[in-house]
This record gives sequence, structure tokens and C-alpha cells, in this order.
Amino acid sequence: MLSRLGLRAAPAALKSLAPSLSVGVLHASRPFHTGQHCLAPLPPLPEKGGQVRHGLIPEEFFQFLYPKTGVTGPYMLGTGLLFYLLSKEIYIVNHETIAGACTVGVLIYIVKKYGGDVAAFADRLNEEKVAKALAVKNDSINHLESIIEQEKKEQWRAEGRSYLFDAKRNNIAMLLETNYRERLLTVYNEVKKRLDYQIAVQQLTRRKEQDHMINWIEKNVAQSITAQQEKESIAKCISDLKMLSKSPQAAV
Amino acid sequence: MAGRRATLKAIDWMAFAERVPPNQRAMFNALKTRSDALSAKLTSLPEKPPAIDWVYYKTAVAKAGMVDEFEKKYSALKVPEPVDTQTDKITAQEQEAAKSAAEYVQASKSRIVQYEKQLEKFRTMIPFDQMTFEDLNEVFPETKLDKEKYPYWPHKPIEDL
Repeated sequence: MLSRLGLRAAPAALKSLAPSLSVGVLHASRPFHTGQHCLAPLPPLPEKGGQVRHGLIPEEFFQFLYPKTGVTGPYMLGTGLLFYLLSKEIYIVNHETIAGACTVGVLIYIVKKYGGDVAAFADRLNEEKVAKALAVKNDSINHLESIIEQEKKEQWRAEGRSYLFDAKRNNIAMLLETNYRERLLTVYNEVKKRLDYQIAVQQLTRRKEQDHMINWIEKNVAQSITAQQEKESIAKCISDLKMLSKSPQAAV
Repeated sequence: MAGRRATLKAIDWMAFAERVPPNQRAMFNALKTRSDALSAKLTSLPEKPPAIDWVYYKTAVAKAGMVDEFEKKYSALKVPEPVDTQTDKITAQEQEAAKSAAEYVQASKSRIVQYEKQLEKFRTMIPFDQMTFEDLNEVFPETKLDKEKYPYWPHKPIEDL
């Protein structure tokens, strides 16, 4: 009974299993690659694959049968199918069955134990690649931004060129002014030097004249003093001295 | 005396120093020392020479008329102002500099536009983990494998792997 149920349900299910098994079903009226090129980036691949129950049967199968047969439907279908195959000897149990069962058991054990680690390792490899690429991209972005900053700074620097020319003009003005003042000062100094020279010359001549006159007068006076006058003047000096010497003695 | 004193413009040396790029600092320092030396020399000289005391000289100098002649000539003397030959050159230099600076700014702006474009490309890029190889070749053309030159995998010389 169950096997007949499975038998009747199988083809109907198979025919309408469009979402899962549409590979072999190709309608000629559905052409491919005729639309416009979709230039938008494709949506990213989903992170996780489709949900699968017991590692083999996709979840959509269970959802598909749920409205008609409830939760136990697919299990009944599976069990019935299995018993049908075994009882009708469509599937024969022999040595290979045992070997296959052991292999499958070992494989399932290995996958359950180490699957996570292998997946993490592979993910890490991929992440490293992506991280490297991202680092390159970030470096490029930073580099470009800093270059743009520098260019703007150089532009700002170039704006300051008026300072340079103001400084140069100032220098020129200062030079001219200094030169002019120096010239004035030179004129003044020269005129003053000449006037002072005149005065100095005058004073010098006057002094020389005085000295010469004094010398000449002295010489002439000394010449004019005859010997007789000298004797007379010495005698007079002596008599004056005697007189003078007398009066102080009286006073003391 | 008019037209002589081109007033000196006050220069903000600090702001000037900020704008000097580091590779021209030596020239800037030389200019500054020169300017400082000039201004020191200028302030050390008096603006007008002291006045000559003609009365004293008139009484002192014996030669008649000499002082009067000197005085007359001195007051009539006009010291020529030094001729300014360089300001025109400076103005010409300034205009040239303005032109070259404008060109430089122009070139700089176009360079900035280029950089901005590249920056935009990087910023609007789709994240790497959502790219296909075609998208990668679009964004970074250098990653495109040359299938004509190297028709067999890995499509690039073995040394580049």
C-alpha cells in the first residue's frame, strides 16, 4: 500500500519538481540571452548554499510536499521507496553494500569532525587575498588624497609670490634712500670741511704771526739792551733789593 | 623732496616664511639677511644732515664773501635723487612670475582633477568579494590576462606568477 502510494506519487512529484530538477526540462519556447545586457553588477552570491536536510535532500522538497502530506510525508515516501526497492530486489544487498555503508560512515565522520576547520582554513586564504587587495586599494586612496593635499598646498604657496616682489621693491627703495642720504651727508661734510679748513688756516697763520712777532720783538729788545744799560739796571736792582731786605727785617 | 620717499611696505616675514617651500629656504634666508642689513643701514643714517651754522662761519672766516658764496651755493645745491633703474625689471619679473604661477596653478588644478577622478573610481568600486574577474579587469586593467599573446594557461609568463 505504501509502495503503491510511493509509486503513484513519484512521477507526479518528479514532473512538477521544476525548482529543483529543471535541468533536463527544456522548453523550446524559452530563449536565452535575448534581453538587454544587464549592466548592473550581479547580486552577490549567497553566503550559504541552499538548505539541505540529512545532507542529501533539499529543503524545498519537504516544503513542496508539506501542504498535501504534512511533516511526515517525505519520510513516508522515502521509507516506502526504500522498502519497495529492497523487497522487490530492485536494489540487491551484497558485499558492496556493506563496504559502501562503512565508507559512507567513515566519510560522514570525517566531514563532521574536520569539516569546520577545513572550511575556516579555506575562508582564511580567501580573506587574506581580499585583505591584500583591500590594503592596496586603501593605500592608493590615501596616497591620492595626500597628493591632492600637497597640490593644494603648492597652489597656496604660489599665491605668496607677492611677498617676494614687495621685499625686492622695499630693498630697492631702501637702497635708493640710503644712497640719497649718503649724498646729502657727503655734501654737508665736504662743505663743512672746507669752511673748517679756512678757519684752521686763519688760526694757524695768526698763531704763526704772533709767535714770529714775539720772537722778533724779543730779539730786538735783547739787541737794544747795550752793556751800559745792563750794568745800570743791575746796580739799580741790587739797591732795590737792599732796600727791600731792610724793610721786611723791621716788619718781622 | 616729493616723489622720493616711496614708502616702504611692511612685510610680514613670518607669513612669507610659511609660504617658502623647503627647497628654497636658503634663498629666502639670504634675502632676509640682505633686507635686514639694508634696513639697519638705512636707520643708521640721519634723514637730513645737520644744518651748517652760517652765522658762526661768517664771523669766523676772514675772507670776505667766501662764506656768503658758500651759503648761497649750498642752499642752491640740489642733490640729485638716485635714479631707479630696477623697479621696472622687478615689475616685469612680477608679471612673468604671475603668468608662470597661473600656468602652474592651472596644471596643478588639472592634475587634481585627474587625481579626483581616480579617487572617485576607487571610492565607487564594488567590494572585492562581490567582484567577478571581468569586474576586476574593468577596474584594474593591468590584471587583464592577455589571451592572444599567451594563449595557454596561465596566460602570463611563468615568472610573473
